[in-house]
Formats: sequence, C-alpha cells, structure tokens
Amino acid sequence: MRQTLHIFAKDTRHFWPEIVVSIALVAVFVWTDPIRWLSQNGLYAVAGRGIFPALLQERFLTGLVPLLIPLTWWLLIARVIHAETLVGDRQFWVTRPYEWKSLLGAKLLFLAVFLYAPIFTAQCLLLVRVGFDPASHLPGLFFNLFLISAILVLPLAAIAAVTSSFPKMTLILLTLLITLVGYVAIGLLFYADNVSLPFNGLSIPLILFFCGGAVTLQYARRKTRISRLLLMALPALMVISSLATSGASPVDRDYPRPGDHEQAPIRLSLFRDRPNPPQAYVDRSRQVELTIPLEESGVAEGYALLANNTKVIVRAADGSHWTSSWQPVGNQNYLPGDSESYLRVSVDRAFYDRARSRPVQLNFTIAFTEVKAASATTLSLPARAFSVFNFGICSPQLDWFGRQFSGIACRFPLRQPKLTYVGVQWADGPCSGPEAAVPGGAWVGNLDDSPADFGISSVWSEPLSFSNSSKQEGGKFEPRRLCPGTPISFTRYNFKGRTQYDFSIEDFRLPAYEVVNSSPGAVSFDITAQ
Amino acid sequence: MTDVIRTAGLSKKFRSTLALNGVDLAIPEGAIYALVGANGAGKTTLIKILMNIYRPTSGSAAVMGVDCRKLAGKHFQSIGYVSENQEMPEWMTVEELLNYLRPFYPQWDRVLERQLVQEFDLPLQRKIQHLSRGMRMKAAFASSLAYRPQLIVLDEPFSGLDPLVRDQTIEGLLERAPETTILLSSHDLAEIETFASHVGYLEQGRLLFSQEMAVLSQRFREVTITLRTPAPLPREIPQTWLRMEAGDVVIRFIDSDFHGQDTIERLRSFFPTATDISVEPMPLRSIFLAIARTESRQNEPVPEEAKA
Repeated sequence: MRQTLHIFAKDTRHFWPEIVVSIALVAVFVWTDPIRWLSQNGLYAVAGRGIFPALLQERFLTGLVPLLIPLTWWLLIARVIHAETLVGDRQFWVTRPYEWKSLLGAKLLFLAVFLYAPIFTAQCLLLVRVGFDPASHLPGLFFNLFLISAILVLPLAAIAAVTSSFPKMTLILLTLLITLVGYVAIGLLFYADNVSLPFNGLSIPLILFFCGGAVTLQYARRKTRISRLLLMALPALMVISSLATSGASPVDRDYPRPGDHEQAPIRLSLFRDRPNPPQAYVDRSRQVELTIPLEESGVAEGYALLANNTKVIVRAADGSHWTSSWQPVGNQNYLPGDSESYLRVSVDRAFYDRARSRPVQLNFTIAFTEVKAASATTLSLPARAFSVFNFGICSPQLDWFGRQFSGIACRFPLRQPKLTYVGVQWADGPCSGPEAAVPGGAWVGNLDDSPADFGISSVWSEPLSFSNSSKQEGGKFEPRRLCPGTPISFTRYNFKGRTQYDFSIEDFRLPAYEVVNSSPGAVSFDITAQ
Repeated sequence: MTDVIRTAGLSKKFRSTLALNGVDLAIPEGAIYALVGANGAGKTTLIKILMNIYRPTSGSAAVMGVDCRKLAGKHFQSIGYVSENQEMPEWMTVEELLNYLRPFYPQWDRVLERQLVQEFDLPLQRKIQHLSRGMRMKAAFASSLAYRPQLIVLDEPFSGLDPLVRDQTIEGLLERAPETTILLSSHDLAEIETFASHVGYLEQGRLLFSQEMAVLSQRFREVTITLRTPAPLPREIPQTWLRMEAGDVVIRFIDSDFHGQDTIERLRSFFPTATDISVEPMPLRSIFLAIARTESRQNEPVPEEAKA
C-alpha cells in the first residue's frame, strides 16, 4: 500500500496540469449541462441572463463539453499509464523494486481520485440541481460508473497498456475510428439504412474480459504481444457476436407465433377512406418506402402493443411474390381506443416497378411486445415544475413567445424512465374558454431494467412529443395548448410478452412513388407538411 | 565461492536472428566481470535476459539464486542496473529522482547518497532532461549505488563518456567493489582491462571464453623463436599455438596455454636449433584479437581443395 501511495503521489505531482484541466472541464459541465433541460423548458432565455450570458447562450457548449470530457480522460489515462510504460525494454522502472500490484493499484487510485470521483461528484450535483436525491440513486450512479468504465475507461486503459507513447496510442485510436467509419459506410452502401454498430448484450462482458485481461496481463507479466492479440480479437468477436444475434432469426426466436386458438392481441386492416392515402418514395434508388394507413381495434383494456419489427410478402397479380426480411418499426405503439395508425415498410424497387401496374396482395407480419398497465398517476398540470413519483421531474414548456404551454419536458435520474404513457388534454382555444378538450399522448422510456443508462450526465431530459399537438384548419397548422390545471396522467407499463401477428390487405394498388435525394427523415417531413 | 549469476544453454532468438546461442556463464560472488564483444555480439541481450527484461528462448539463467524469469519487485532491492540507453523520468530533477527512489529500498544509505552526489558533482536541482550524457549516467549510477546493491549490472556504462567522467564513475564503482558483485558489458577492452577481475568474450551470440583476468594474462604469451639455420616447422603444431608466422629463421606465434618454464622447455624440444626463445606477456587487446581471428578463421567455410 505504501508503494501504491508513493507512486500515486509521484503521478499526482507530475500530471497536475492534466488533472486541473480534466477537473475544470467537469466543473464546466456541471455548470453548462442544466442548459439542456432549461432550454427544453423554454427557460433558456432566463438562464442566459445570468453570469456570462453570451457564453451560456452558445448552445454548442452543452454539446461540446460532454465530448471534451472523454478526451481529457483519454489524455489522463494515457499519461498516467505511460508514466511507467509497459511496452519496451528501456524503461527505468522495470529494474527497480516495483511490485506490479502496487503499480496497478497506484494507477487505479489515480483514476479513482481524478476521474471517477470528479464525475461522480458532478453527477450527484446535477441530480441535486434537478431536485433528485443522490442517496436514493446510488445503485444507478455506481452502475453508470461501471458503464463508463466498460465503454470508455477500460478500453482506453487497455490501449495505453499496449502502447509506449501518447502518439502511438492516438494512432491506434484513429485507426479504430476510421475502421468504425468504414464499417458504417460499407453497411450503408450495402445494407441501406439498416446499419447498427456491433454492440449487443455480449459486448460489455467481452470488453471487460478482453480489455481487463490485457491490462492485467501487461501489469503482471508485460506480455505485450499476447495482450495486443487479445485486443485485436475483441472487435472481431464483437462483430461476430453482433452478426450472430442480428438478422431474422432472433425475431422469430424471441417473438413466438400465437397458437391456433389464441385470440389476436390486435386487429389491423387497411384504412381505405383515410384522407391521406398510401404514399411511397424512393431514395438511393434501391428500396421503395411504402407508408400505409391502418385501422386498428381489439387491444384489450389495460394493455398496449409496441410494434418492434415487421415483414411483408408482396404477391403480384401474375403470381410472383417478394418477401422482405424483418424491418424495424419506429415508435409505433397501439393503445385500446386508438383507431388509426401508419405502417411503413421498404419494398424492393425492381419488384415494385413490375407489380404496381395491377393490384397486389400484402401479407404483413408484425412482431409485437405486449405491455400491461401497472400503475397510473393523474394530476392537474401545475404551472411550474412538478415531481411525478417513480417517473421524474417535469415542467410545462412555454411556446416560442413565452405565452402558453405547448408541452411538457421531463428530467429523469440516470436513465430514461420505465415505459410510461403520458396522457394530456389539449385545448384548442384560450384556457379560459369553454372548448372541448382534445386528448393527446406520448410514450416515453423503455422496458429495460438496468439502474442507469450510459452517459456522462446523470440527468436525462426529454421534451415529450404529444400526439394531436396541432389542428389543421384550411391547410394551416394551429398549435394547441396545455392549460394549467388540465389533467395529465402517467401510466407505467410492464412487460407482458412477445408475439407475432399476421394480417393481409387484398387488392392493394401500389401508389406511384416519388424519387427524392434527401434523407428519409426530411422526406417524411415534406409529406407530412403537404 | 557461490555464483551470483549462472546461465546454462541460454539462447535468445529475435524472429530468425539468433542473438544468443547456448551461453553457459558463471560469475562468482565478488567478481568484477567484464563481458566484452563487438557491437551486436549479444552482450545487451544477455544482460536484459538476466534482468528479466527479455525472456530467453531456451536455456536457463539464475541471478542471486532466482530464476531470471521470476526476477521482479523485491529482488531488485539488491540489484543495481544501469544501461547506456535506459529511459529515465526526464521531468524529475536529480533530487526528485533520489527522493522518489529512496522509499523503494529499505537499505538506502543517505550518507552514501550524499557522498555519491558530492563525488559525482551532481546538480540536484537540475532536471534529468537537461543533464549532459555524462551527468545522466552519473545520476543513474548514484541512484543505483546508494542502496548498496549486492549485484551491480552495467550495460555499456562508459560508452560515449569523456575520460574524466569515465574515471570518476569507475572510481565510484571500485569503491563499492568489495561489498558487491559487478557485471558490466563493454566493447572497449582498454576501459575494463585495468579493473575487471574476470572477463568473458561474446561473439555472434556465443561465449567464446570466460576466465579470471589474471589467469588469462598468464596463459597468453607472444613467443618469438630464432633458429640457427632455417628448419621446417614441426609436423604437429599444438592447437594452443595461435597465429603462427614462420620466416627462414624466425618463428612467431601466440601461445594460449603458457605455463612458465615448462612451456619454454617444451618449446626447446620442438625447436632444438633455437638460438633464442623470447616470451612476452600480451595486453588484453592483443589476446582478444588473437582469439577473435582464430575463431573467425575456424568458422570460415573450408575450401574444397583443402578438404581433398
């Protein structure tokens, strides 16, 4: 222990400028991070009237600082590990009475004091700033530190342990970055918009094992070649495990088909008389993105369905057919009482061109997660921040002019909340008026049970996007408002099960598609706006 | 007397290069052992294996009774290692270096430390990165001698040092010699000749010989024999006669197994017509040159006509 403290003291003396920069940046982060949620509240301008308003109003600061913090950690980790570099045959310390456990202990102590302690303190301060009690979120705080270790600190430490200097380490990190960009670019080139990083449930154990193994091996034995091989094997194994768990099979495995006598959890059919008819567009000339309006019914009271994936078989009039793979469905959830929705699928452009002259049959399969309402809280919307038990702290959002509430934004401790449906009642006219309320709702959170999500900040903030937030009158969109005192409900949902559901649309006329060059997001905005 | 360092069949390969080839070495306690050889002979490799910086490909080595592969941590409390190309904590001042290293060694001698600082005239407040090469070496020496190590290992310690600094460091080293064993490598015979007690010669990874200096000096003699009349050389020349040169009446060679009067008597029996037999002691450099040339000749491929 004495040797550990002795080496730690030496490193502290040597690296005080790096330590000061790192801690100062964390302090700046504590100062600037609240701008994120203040701006969501519409209180951004108010915050800007404080000290250094011009600086505060530079919104990029809130985005930049969380990026700079890992960079200072990179510097800190590299410098402290390379102070007693583990690679090479000229280091003075290898022929001195260093005990490897003491040396490793000194480096861990250094990181604990100058990396973990500041960010832990910062996260506690941010929780306090929002109004959460850090003591009641200790498991989440420690779990977040664990995630930071696994995703950032340990890989950086492992690379530092197998390199002899900061430039060499930087070169390796740049190579990794270029490889990652190449991976995504190749994915986009060959697999269109279905590209994800090779990260899944196995990734964290793999990182812990391989990076932890490389660091320990280097300190205990200085087996650089084996340690480097371990680190080179890691991305390969991550890609292999990602490929092994992606594709169609996991959906078929995880979402069982219902039995013959089981009642379907939902009924879906084409909404034929919908004012907005089916639409289609093409980007990058390979897939036709088809959007179909659906009528829905049959979701049992107290339940909801989350559409996760869909696949479609398009049967042409000439008997030929085209089958898609499983495609992710973005944020399409179904509640009892809902009557309409949209389903978006990608269809091969060549087949689409051949089949679209005559009506086709569409056979859809949707993979659903079924959730059950667990607890509900209803309250009257206050005019200022309010706390919702087991959820978070929310505030009504002011519109651009600061005159009325156009929504609410919520802050959550350490992670997004458990899956919750937030229901509101919109007012079409002035809050004093007699006009009938229009229901709106928003889903927020996920079904994950972990106590924290990975993040530098301990506060997750999210403006809730409620449905029916505007009305269309004479081709113009009029925003609705939330009146103080209007009921607002928070219903938490728990996982119930997973299932598949089939439905068909007969005699469907594939619409003509529009060829666009912009991204799907921009196109969908255009269509909606029209 | 026990051996502080002992190796058996020690070999080290770097990819396809055989840097050390079956080295058997024994360094007795109290010796000042000079490991000599040309650049690239394998001296540094051997020392780095002994210090557990490299791992041997085959064979074994023990340093103070410990397998060199297990040499770590506390074992280095009684070993002082200084190398010409060792990386030092450049940001520290000499004083900071000494202060930093002191707690690692329970037997660190503050009085000796001050003495060494004074002897070497070390600028305590100067950063190591601002020291001259000589001063760096002296700082390294001071930091490796102040804890009175039982074994001092020096890899080319005097390389590139000016004569004054070299003499200072040798002097400092010799003052510690009675209480320690010293292994040092050098490619300059002259610099170790005056104080080494033992010498080993490495060439192309092989230890050609390893001997006590006094024995080596006694063993080698330059022999000049003057004959009355020209005479043919004896049919069977002993293998211990190296680099033989024969004129009409003068024969010169190096005897590598000289035993005083016995050898002279033997020479007279070989050359009965000799009018004069002169036997001169040799400097270390000449001995090494003789050995090196003989070895390299033995390693040369034999021409086909000679084989026939």
